[in-house]
Amino acid sequence: MSRRLLIFGGVAALYTVLMTVTWIVSTRQAEENTQTQLDYAVLNLHDTVAGAIDTMLGHIARTAVRHIGSAQVMSLERMAAGAKELDIDEVSTVSREGIVIASNDPRSIGVDMTASPVLNEFMELTNGVTATVSQPFRAHARNPNFRAKYLAAAFPGGDGYVQVGLEESRLKKMLPSILGYIFDEWLLGEKGFFLCADMDTGRLISNPSRHRGEARTLAEAGYDTEGARRYEVIADGKNMGRTFVQTLFGEKCFCRAFLFGGHRFVAALPEREYYGGRNMLAVVFGVTFLVVLGAFAILLDRIFRDSDRLKKFYAAEDDRRAKDMEIAKTIQNSALPTAAPESPCFRIDAAMHAARDVGGDFYDYFVLDATHIAFLVADVSGKGVTAALYMMTAKTLIKNTLLAVRDPAAALTEANAELCANNPAMMFLTAWVGVLDLETGVVTFANAGHNPPVAIAGPKSAAFVRKTSGPVLAFIDGVKYAARTMRLPPGGTLFLYTDGVTEATDAKNGLFGEERLLDALNAVTDPDPHAICGVVRTVVAAFSEGMPQADDITVMAVRYLKPPKLYSRKFPPRQEGVANASEFLDETIGREELRDKQLSPLLPSLHVILDEMCSNIVRYSNAAGFEVDIEIVETPLGVRLTFIDDGDAYDPLAHADPDTTLPAAERPIGGLGIFMVKRMASSIAYRRSHGRNILSVVLSA
Amino acid sequence: MIQIDSKLEDGKLTLKVAGRLDTNTSPELSDKLSCDGVSSVVFDFSELEYISSAGLRVLMSVQKTVMATGGSVVIVNPNSIVMGVLDMTGLSGVFEIVQDQGAPQQ
Repeated sequence: MSRRLLIFGGVAALYTVLMTVTWIVSTRQAEENTQTQLDYAVLNLHDTVAGAIDTMLGHIARTAVRHIGSAQVMSLERMAAGAKELDIDEVSTVSREGIVIASNDPRSIGVDMTASPVLNEFMELTNGVTATVSQPFRAHARNPNFRAKYLAAAFPGGDGYVQVGLEESRLKKMLPSILGYIFDEWLLGEKGFFLCADMDTGRLISNPSRHRGEARTLAEAGYDTEGARRYEVIADGKNMGRTFVQTLFGEKCFCRAFLFGGHRFVAALPEREYYGGRNMLAVVFGVTFLVVLGAFAILLDRIFRDSDRLKKFYAAEDDRRAKDMEIAKTIQNSALPTAAPESPCFRIDAAMHAARDVGGDFYDYFVLDATHIAFLVADVSGKGVTAALYMMTAKTLIKNTLLAVRDPAAALTEANAELCANNPAMMFLTAWVGVLDLETGVVTFANAGHNPPVAIAGPKSAAFVRKTSGPVLAFIDGVKYAARTMRLPPGGTLFLYTDGVTEATDAKNGLFGEERLLDALNAVTDPDPHAICGVVRTVVAAFSEGMPQADDITVMAVRYLKPPKLYSRKFPPRQEGVANASEFLDETIGREELRDKQLSPLLPSLHVILDEMCSNIVRYSNAAGFEVDIEIVETPLGVRLTFIDDGDAYDPLAHADPDTTLPAAERPIGGLGIFMVKRMASSIAYRRSHGRNILSVVLSA
Repeated sequence: MIQIDSKLEDGKLTLKVAGRLDTNTSPELSDKLSCDGVSSVVFDFSELEYISSAGLRVLMSVQKTVMATGGSVVIVNPNSIVMGVLDMTGLSGVFEIVQDQGAPQQ
């Protein structure tokens, strides 16, 4: 909201500045135009009036020339009669030599016209070419209050001339008849007008009623004579006075005034005519601006509304994404094993640090049997819920196949076929799957395009295990992954990770890389898997400090300690062997070192399991002998019984369970043994290896 | 590992089985079972530790024989292990099971 105000405020300020500048410029322009127009108007008015007087005097002078005939001496009375007849103040005849030889004024007779420059102007008439010479009104040399104008016309051939003089007082009487018509017709601009009034009485000789209104005197028209005096001039045809402002006929006007022929001439131009243009400009400017501003405001509002909507949309989208990531994280975390199996034979620890945009890292570990543990680290391509869900599928699939076939390479081959068959999202994953044989330290593994793990056989001997088995999973259908092996010495550790470790970046965009990983692992002082995972995590975090974590970081360490302690015995394939196995079980559970484990409550169930499995082998397998391994499981406390025979391949888990709901008469006798074992066992696994059936049953307390 | 006391009274055969009933011992129980002139069989399992499928097989064959002559099979005082096996195999609904005589139940 404040942003809109700011923009509107800015635009309005800009408008004000523009408007002010335009206003000032157009005001100046209007005033200049007014001056120019008034200048022309008063000059024109003066010239017209002066011209009319010249025309009239010319006519009088030429009439006198005709009457007098030639430059001859005439009596004062004769000249006075002529002046009266011509209605003129003075009439004189001047000889070719410039001497006044006849006049109605006795003071003029004998005056030498060549004696002063002003009088000498008339001598031009003796050149035989010039017809008339006119002079403006002038104050008389002897009496400044007496103003008169002289005009002379030549006798034919320039042989002397007649000079007529008109006093201002006489002109004043004549002017109304000369000028009356002019003021009725003249217009100044569109709305301007002229006023002319007797200088002494203020009586108007012009009639403004046609355009302006009724007024008989200047004062009635609103003219302030005293106020205007300092601006007006006595007209000389050059300096025509200065502009002033007066309210005439109730309207403010620019005025010029001059005095001529006993009259006051006023040219008036209403202000609104000249400011009208400017005011119109302001109005047009303002309206245009308002329209544009209005359109602009509407547009701006739309833009803001759109941007607000977009912001809300993005916020909702962010929210949705955050929720999506939350779900993905939950899925990812729920899939990971929570507690590592406790065993004196090995130690395992793993951790996954999810990036903000959850990737598809996962890890898993589980016990296959008394002497084998499986562990794996994998990385699903992509991020978010899709990757997390695909990860769940892949994890379950790999675990199930691994439990069934017990060989990493075979498990990945089978899992790959399944993943390829149903992969609409075109995801893929890398995986490193290993099975550690606790009796030998041999790790059978398969690597499907995953980062090479690091084997740490002893202090400062970290080395990459670069053997691979095939391409990434879910990518090429029908791939057969190759089985690889390596061996961990007792105390040796295998460190697995995902590319979130080696591809962690620092502030300069440098990669953590494999060398730093080796250095970090060589620097480890505590060989415990938990400590190793912690050290790597710390070193990576320090390396990429200040940088957002781009990918999930998964670390896993598996440390092989020693072969498991098994109680193992072989028995002959006869009922006697079953009885001996039963005794072996009693004897083992009753051993001194196991007494504090308090396993005896498990004994009846263990006996049932042992009896079922051993009698099965004895009766059906054609084995040459069988072996029973008894192993104590720590978490949760329990006992693992492993039955190994070299008889016919037989997977007891592959058989359907009997129907225990049938009425007694319809039930077959037998077939219950395996079913009971499956129901009693905490976990059960079968595998066929090297011509031997290996069935492992765990019974937990 | 098994001790069997048998008592025949008015066509009612009572067998007190102590110890373990599995493949090693169930032939012994089979031997003790002669159903001639027996209308009902009572298995006293107060002191039976556990029973495997071999033992169940003996019980079921007795049941079939006795049922054919309109008789009945009763199991008295099985412990929790034995009862668990009978339950999981659906046989607790086939036999008549009685907890009485103040025998301690495990």
